[in-house]
Amino acid sequence: MRDVIIIGAGGGGPVVAKELAARGLDVLLLEAGPRHADPESEWTHLENDANNPLSGFLRFGPENRDAPAWYRETPQNSFIWQLSGVGGTTQHYFGNSPRAMPGVFTGYNGPDRDAYDTAHLFPFTYEELVPYFEWVEATLPVQTAAMGTKESVFFRGCEGIGLPVQTSKTTTEDSFRPQENAILQPGGWAGKLTGRDDPRLRFPEATGCTFCGYCMQGCSKPRGAPRNLAAKRSTDNSYVPMALTADVWADGGRRAELIADAYVTKIHTEQRGGETTATGVTWRVGATGDYHREDATVVVMAGGCTEDPRLWLNSALPNPNGWVGRGYTDHFFDWVIGLFDDDTGSTRGAASAARADFPGRGGMENVGLTPGLQQFAATFSDSGIRGHYTNGRGPEGPWDGTAGRMIGDELKDALTNGIDRLLNVLVITDDDVEAQNRVTLSALPADEHGPVPKVRFHQRERSARTRANREFVARRAAEMLRAAGATKVVRIDWPPLLLHVQSSMRMGLSEDDSVLDANAEARWVKRLFIADNAALANSLGGPNPTLTAQALATRTAEKIFSRYFGGDAWVGRESPVVSTDSRISAQLTPSR
Amino acid sequence: MADRTLARRTFLARIGVLGAATAFGSAIPAALPRTAAAAGSDALLDPLVGLLRPVLAELARDTLSGLVVMTCPGPDRFSHAQGTPRSEPGAIDAGADDFIINALDNFLPFPDQIATPLATALTTALDDTGIPLPPSLHSLLLGQVNTVDRALMVILRNDQTVPLSLVVGLLLNLLATQVNPLSITGSLLSPFARLSIDEKCRAFELLEGPNADLLAVLDSNLPEPLTSSLSGLLQFLAGALLEFSAFGAHNEFAVFDPDTKELTARPVGWELAGYQPDGVVDGWDDFIGYYEDRTEVGA
Repeated sequence: MRDVIIIGAGGGGPVVAKELAARGLDVLLLEAGPRHADPESEWTHLENDANNPLSGFLRFGPENRDAPAWYRETPQNSFIWQLSGVGGTTQHYFGNSPRAMPGVFTGYNGPDRDAYDTAHLFPFTYEELVPYFEWVEATLPVQTAAMGTKESVFFRGCEGIGLPVQTSKTTTEDSFRPQENAILQPGGWAGKLTGRDDPRLRFPEATGCTFCGYCMQGCSKPRGAPRNLAAKRSTDNSYVPMALTADVWADGGRRAELIADAYVTKIHTEQRGGETTATGVTWRVGATGDYHREDATVVVMAGGCTEDPRLWLNSALPNPNGWVGRGYTDHFFDWVIGLFDDDTGSTRGAASAARADFPGRGGMENVGLTPGLQQFAATFSDSGIRGHYTNGRGPEGPWDGTAGRMIGDELKDALTNGIDRLLNVLVITDDDVEAQNRVTLSALPADEHGPVPKVRFHQRERSARTRANREFVARRAAEMLRAAGATKVVRIDWPPLLLHVQSSMRMGLSEDDSVLDANAEARWVKRLFIADNAALANSLGGPNPTLTAQALATRTAEKIFSRYFGGDAWVGRESPVVSTDSRISAQLTPSR
Repeated sequence: MADRTLARRTFLARIGVLGAATAFGSAIPAALPRTAAAAGSDALLDPLVGLLRPVLAELARDTLSGLVVMTCPGPDRFSHAQGTPRSEPGAIDAGADDFIINALDNFLPFPDQIATPLATALTTALDDTGIPLPPSLHSLLLGQVNTVDRALMVILRNDQTVPLSLVVGLLLNLLATQVNPLSITGSLLSPFARLSIDEKCRAFELLEGPNADLLAVLDSNLPEPLTSSLSGLLQFLAGALLEFSAFGAHNEFAVFDPDTKELTARPVGWELAGYQPDGVVDGWDDFIGYYEDRTEVGA
């Protein structure tokens, strides 16, 4: 019998694990995928080895890489890019940690209050979440990003279209800025030296981000650093080490237990006082196929926006309003590429360290990719092939020609122009919660973990506001690239790329269209909480979701502790311990 | 019966199987004893299956080579055939054909419940569009065609796992002959690989758009409730084929030694892109500073 069992060691689960381990609770953290305990020996900086969604070490699949990835049915042109493994999708995230827009919370009364998804607001105020933002920002830590060449190009473009610079964490107007990111900023020789096997690029002569350009391949730089001093603050480098060492840095703390290769297949419940109440979980061990069951006072789901509804439905938990799996948001990404005559440094430095935001519309950020992923991104389209067919779409605008995937000579010429002479812009749409975009169970056969999820996105029938927002930001992206000096601008018109995922098990004001109450506890199953992006009420207005999900998970940990363990809240009353704390480092094996 | 055999022969020609089998025509028996009529593996069919399997593997490879050069044309014959030869290395030099075949056959978790009906459709579909067959495809007797067909059925339906690279290849060839019936014969093994790049794009338009003809061929073999998923899965497949081709043509797959985790040569994609000229790094000298020298911001 545990105090708390947490399902999933991705962006959110380890936050609850760390916070409650620090309070001395007996916490079990289960992760379906592998644990990469020694990245320097297990990982490479090579994109197929790392990122191949079918066989890479960063994929959504089992620990054994000879076995296929786990299947999800996607009955449309789309791509789900979530990761299994300790750290979850933060293993390949870019560390960007903007706060949610204030306008997506109850009680917001700014002049732009009607510009957001007002039908699906958070069930509490922005001001209530601010102390939790601050707590997470101090813990990771989140800092203002350093600038490399590609950031300077992005800023030049933003200046050129007349955007002001934002100098606060809270966004209040159309503006651009360096990212606030969860990356340790360069120190010592980091960022000042190009090389390999140079001792000056090893910890501690180099600290923080070395500008290696491999954020997408997982971060273990600088070489020789203890895991909790790796530059990028994916949870495998930050919250997980804290959870596993809570006894050394927290008074009365107790080490959480982490079990990887443990796929939860069922949440158990019983009736208590007329209420359905969670009592524990069963998981399957990937290596052996054995099943284990443990009970707990509280169960926390954090398996991600696709897996949470699947597990809920496979556990036959109640779903009286039908909103389990509904309201899935994905920022309806798009992609705009600018070609330049001069160096843009696209493949160097943190993958995305500059952004612009348009409250009520969304935002955009620069993204550097490796060659294969670059060409993947340039061929991923819902608008057919440029110059050949539009697949019923092919929007026109301040980009060149109709939107669509590049092919043949055009695609090759774009790359041979130089991967460091292009700049990619990710268009991030403030998209609406819609019942039609959802996870259900597939009619295709079950896998070893039960019926598989089917993820349905109706990209062409999304709300008018969502579609208009996307067009607005795509235009700004193209205009910014031109202002920065791009000689050619191509809009790809991506189909759904599920990378920023939110709100598939949303909390909300109304019982009619939400799964969770304002404390992130399931409305129909007591002692069952959700603490990942699925719990978010909406798509945050466009900001990258990890920070807000982690702030909410911190708040949820407090709610669990006060409601079921009789404890007091701590955020705002205590000082957070930073995840780089030397007491944690001392418990960890340095990388080689 | 003769009409059905003729229509089936035309269909086999369109998906490239007839042309591939013609290469070893003299080895194909014109008739099998009645005991060999069942679709299952049979001692009398086994030698032919043994002959046909590598030929179909080559057909699939040719077809998928014709696919990958769409995303990175080079000096190879497939790029020539699509009308976009380039002097620099391309997808074939990068091993993207191996990459896509490996991905389809070994890793893509494409459910057999979809793949098997697709394969079944390809083993039973007829063509009555009246596409005329050139003389080169008339060299097999109808009895021999029937024998080839039964060997194909063994390969597609009796394997433990459907060879998805072959199913996809045959599907692309079917689309190719819809776009350009003349692609049914020519210098390469695969009708799809014979198309110009404009025609290949048209084939993809048919694959990801509403294509009643294609769905009619494939739909009838799918059990409910999967029929409604089929057009969506074809849209997914169309996108994935191009995206994975582009990824495979530019990453390090072909020159990666999994034992040492090192590269045995510089990847083609890196050279084309000018990516990290001196190979993998531990860091770059690219830290300019902070925008307006601001290293922190307020709330």
